[in-house]
Amino acid sequence: MSAPSSTSPLSSGQLVRLVAGREISSRIRDKTFIASSVLMIVLILGVLVFQVVVNSGEDTSRIGVVGDPGQVGTALEAQGEALDVDVEVVRFDTEDAARTAVEDEEVDGALVGSSGDPELVVADPDTTLEAVVSGAVGSVALGDALAQAGVDPSDLPQLTVTALDGDSAADTQRTVVAVVGVVVLYSLLILFAQFVAQGVVEEKSSRVVELLLATMKPWQLLAGKILGLGVLGLGQIAVIAAIGIGGALAFDVVDLPGELIGTVLWLLFWFVLGYALFASLFAVAASLVSRQEDLGSVLTPASLVLVAGFIVAVQAASDPDGTLAIVTSYVPGLSPMVMPVRQAAGDVALWEVGVAVALMLVAIALVVRLGGRVYSGALLRTGGKTKLREALKAGEA
Amino acid sequence: MLEFDGLHKSYGDNRVLEGVGFTVAPGSMFGFCGSNGAGKTTTMRIAMGLARADAGEVRWRGRPLDEEARRRIGYMPEERGLYPKMRVGEQLTYFARLHGMDAAAAARAAEEWSGRLGLAERRGDPVEKLSLGNQQRVQLAAALVSRPEVLILDEPFSGLDPVGVDALAEALLEQCRAGVPVVFSSHQLDLVERLCDSVGILARGRMVATGTVEELRRRESGRVLRVVVPDAAPGWAAAVPGVRVVSERAGDTLLELAGGTDDQQVLAAALRTGRVTHFAWREATLVELFREVVADPVQQAAVREEVAA
Repeated sequence: MSAPSSTSPLSSGQLVRLVAGREISSRIRDKTFIASSVLMIVLILGVLVFQVVVNSGEDTSRIGVVGDPGQVGTALEAQGEALDVDVEVVRFDTEDAARTAVEDEEVDGALVGSSGDPELVVADPDTTLEAVVSGAVGSVALGDALAQAGVDPSDLPQLTVTALDGDSAADTQRTVVAVVGVVVLYSLLILFAQFVAQGVVEEKSSRVVELLLATMKPWQLLAGKILGLGVLGLGQIAVIAAIGIGGALAFDVVDLPGELIGTVLWLLFWFVLGYALFASLFAVAASLVSRQEDLGSVLTPASLVLVAGFIVAVQAASDPDGTLAIVTSYVPGLSPMVMPVRQAAGDVALWEVGVAVALMLVAIALVVRLGGRVYSGALLRTGGKTKLREALKAGEA
Repeated sequence: MLEFDGLHKSYGDNRVLEGVGFTVAPGSMFGFCGSNGAGKTTTMRIAMGLARADAGEVRWRGRPLDEEARRRIGYMPEERGLYPKMRVGEQLTYFARLHGMDAAAAARAAEEWSGRLGLAERRGDPVEKLSLGNQQRVQLAAALVSRPEVLILDEPFSGLDPVGVDALAEALLEQCRAGVPVVFSSHQLDLVERLCDSVGILARGRMVATGTVEELRRRESGRVLRVVVPDAAPGWAAAVPGVRVVSERAGDTLLELAGGTDDQQVLAAALRTGRVTHFAWREATLVELFREVVADPVQQAAVREEVAA
């Protein structure tokens, strides 16, 4: 009677997956996407290389010693550590060999003479080197004098250091990671929310949306689009994070890998929340227009929120405990960029993060609910710009 | 049976549909005619769930169309729509999958239909690189690729060259022969007349005529009697009871007969004027039928008065 049917019913999940799959497979071949991925990775590698170069600037001081370095060698290394200079002790058999090495600039300086009358031979005057060597010679002499007088050095009062400002070096490092991370997060949020918006308008302007909606509901189309591009975006930020962490560990740029990984994981978490909000906002705004040319004007309000969040986040890096940073780290839309910086820079109680996350989830739920209605109402209205109120009304019907 | 039943739809004060209804039997082709803005597209969009009827419903096999049933309908919207940057083959596969085919079957069907519609060499090209005619073929392939149980096509022939028209007509007839009910709208009435088993004419939101082409032709209003009487004096036929003169020029007369009027009486009256060189019922073309039923009633009355005067 009728043509043989080879189709089977589709669940919402299957439809959403189909839409998401199409988004991923067509976007992954898109030139903008490829270019942006390459750019991001180059950027991260650039930051790493920069860090490595800056670190290698404070190169090792090579100090020549005649005969067995013994106590002096140990003292030189200890002194170098105290002054934040890497010291390498090089042994020479004769004084002449040591002097020649200094002239040939094989070593930065050489300690010659007897222990009673030490002499530092250098090619160019170097105060750091002088300080290291005189400190070392002094401490060896002091140790000898004390030993002769029968005093055990460990009986001397030891200075205990208590840092009131936490581990400030590690804090700075985490803040740097957080700022770099927020730059990446902000760029990817803008990029992928734009992809979502362009996709919505492409379907509207090419009228393919009519064929699509004959087989599915608007929310399934929207969900598939946002999820598909979201998976791609999360994948991209994860790859960047992996390269960043891997590179940082390999080049020994950071001291505390645990802290670094924690900060990066929080960034990934905030990316997911931020993307959910901004992708929905952009999609809803985009559904109001029918041409790519009109996209800019409807996306401006949501883009401004993103830009504001980014600026506040960068500012928060230098003043993480300021009122502005604290207040904005709770504001949905701003929190995905400000909160990770605060978390990295200072002590943020878990409940504070919890409140920011909860507010963000409420905002996402609202946008998805109201926005879904606008989207359904506006999707089939082509020609010109649809007014928000009209779309809401049409979406209700 | 595909049944459109009592569809009403208003946009604000603008009443677009006022009780549109018709049925299409499996394996038959239904031509949907009507002037621009008559409501054809709205009717089809209601069937596809893209617009909501204020009243009335569309049923397939006795059940109102729901999302699942619509998945088994092949649809071609009035405004053509495809992803411009997506490749032909992938696009067809995607639409087949959206209609519920599994990946392998969808890929096979996409290959089959792109081949049958002469797109085999363009499978790997993005749609935007194709000529308009070829894009139209892809659009049709997108409607057919999921082996639909029903076809609803809005202006499928518009923008096609004669070769394209023939290819599309052949494809549709083939679907019909396989038992698929086909509904399509068109302004090309000669095509409708040639292809369709039945025709519906929509005017001002109402069906003003439905039936087979034959049935429509037999309608009295559409039939005229052409009598050529070279020697007759002008106004010869006006005296015959039940006869209305449509036009008269040098003995070539077109007459409309009121119901129950015997055409033999007209012949007798003609013979009384002298030689009769032509006497025959002229079958109205669909175009004439269309003009007749679609014309605004007020205008129509004015035309009648003019002719009578």
